[in-house]
Amino acid sequence: MRRNLPRSKYQKGIIHPIKYLRDYLERDIRPDGRQFLRVRPMSVNVRSITQADSSSIFKIGNTTVVCGIKAELAEPKVETPDCGYIIPNVELPPLCSPKFRPGPPSDQAQISSKIVETVFLNSGVLDPRNLCISKNKLVWVLYCDLICIDYDGSVMDACVGALMAALKTLTLPEVEHNPDTGAIIVHPSKRLSVPLKGAPVCTTFALFEDQLLIPDPTEEEESLALARLSLVIDGEELCGVYKAGGIPISQEVLMKSLSQSKKRAELVRKLIDTAISST
Amino acid sequence: MEGTEIVEDEGILRPMKCELNHLTMPDGSAMFMQGDTAVVAGIYGPVEARVQKMMYDKASIEVVYTPIKGPPCVDDRMREQIIKETCEAALIATLHPGTAICINVQELQDSGGLLACTVNAACLALINSGLSMKFMIGAVNCMIEKDSQKLILDPDTTQIQEAKATFTFIFDSSKKDLVSCQTTGRFTEKEFLYSFDKCKEASQCVFQFFRSIVTKYATRI
Repeated sequence: MRRNLPRSKYQKGIIHPIKYLRDYLERDIRPDGRQFLRVRPMSVNVRSITQADSSSIFKIGNTTVVCGIKAELAEPKVETPDCGYIIPNVELPPLCSPKFRPGPPSDQAQISSKIVETVFLNSGVLDPRNLCISKNKLVWVLYCDLICIDYDGSVMDACVGALMAALKTLTLPEVEHNPDTGAIIVHPSKRLSVPLKGAPVCTTFALFEDQLLIPDPTEEEESLALARLSLVIDGEELCGVYKAGGIPISQEVLMKSLSQSKKRAELVRKLIDTAISST
Repeated sequence: MEGTEIVEDEGILRPMKCELNHLTMPDGSAMFMQGDTAVVAGIYGPVEARVQKMMYDKASIEVVYTPIKGPPCVDDRMREQIIKETCEAALIATLHPGTAICINVQELQDSGGLLACTVNAACLALINSGLSMKFMIGAVNCMIEKDSQKLILDPDTTQIQEAKATFTFIFDSSKKDLVSCQTTGRFTEKEFLYSFDKCKEASQCVFQFFRSIVTKYATRI
């Protein structure tokens, strides 16, 4: 057997998963050797896919999400004639985890796409009016494809991070539109970046017995957690607090998670900025 | 309508109305109205589970949410997930291993606070079904107005158009801790915690209402 195998199934706690995790938590450490409030190392790479208008790869520990944004021209929706729109799509292919099977998008993939969309809309990071070329006639549509390569917990954090990194490097070609003739001239050489406001950062927490709160859970922690909580922070403001079921949490835990996610948000923001400036 | 009760709690929340045993076939059902938002919920369970969904150590909980018009879309998936996870937190699923508990919710009218209304309806239907629960769940919806920065509890559709942020909090009845939470818009930490406190207070009215409904129906048995 190779020595550098991650950990054998036996050691991974397949036999008594709950006891395995509890034994660690009782000793004030997590199965991957982290302290309770430590987050995994993150890395970002931008402009890695040249065929897309902008792209990014976001890694949190083993969790990897690739984002590609493709811009297309389309007619605006009737109810919002001066607004462009984005269509985020989170894919959880069978490659990323044994939990997913081939076939139509799972419920979880659909919900993830929806959360990414709500985070984007609630944060107001991109004014949809900036995607308008000609009112009632022509707008940009941004197809944001987020593909999870490795599903090892806190996938939403990676999705939001990847989307923001990709949006920050997005450039759109200049388009001339003649409203009378309907002629469209695209100048692929003249590319302009899209003005953005802020950068929302999502942080996921897992909760265990006695209101133990740990940020950035791995997949095994996430699946055994008694509750999960996601906070989206943008600068001094919040733009999303999501918790679906699980054990009830008190206000103190909520406050603690708020302060933790603020620290993390600052870290992620700096990381994305460094990644962009270094390329 | 027989078995209808109105609570006008100093105008904090919109008046709530509820009718239990509204449907005959389900094991528990409730029609619940909060202001003009109305929802019917029906519970079947514990029933035989589908083979793929069966869990050997606890009951699997399935939620079907049917919107008033059109086929269910991605937004409804998300709503279903919140109802499912919230009810799962309240139910003692380990009492019925290998079975399924089906929660069906039908939207009748949406005039704001639909998620809160569905969760409350589901809770009342669960109470009516007699399934064992750890606690009741009560949902409260609120918003912060764009111009005045004022907090409005349980807003209706016209008020929501003026909102800069809306919150739906779901509390448990024993410790009044947070079970589920959903937000829209941007808000500060202070606004969030203030809304949290106010909704927590208001959740008392919801639980009080649940109790009054249960007492009302219990006397007749």
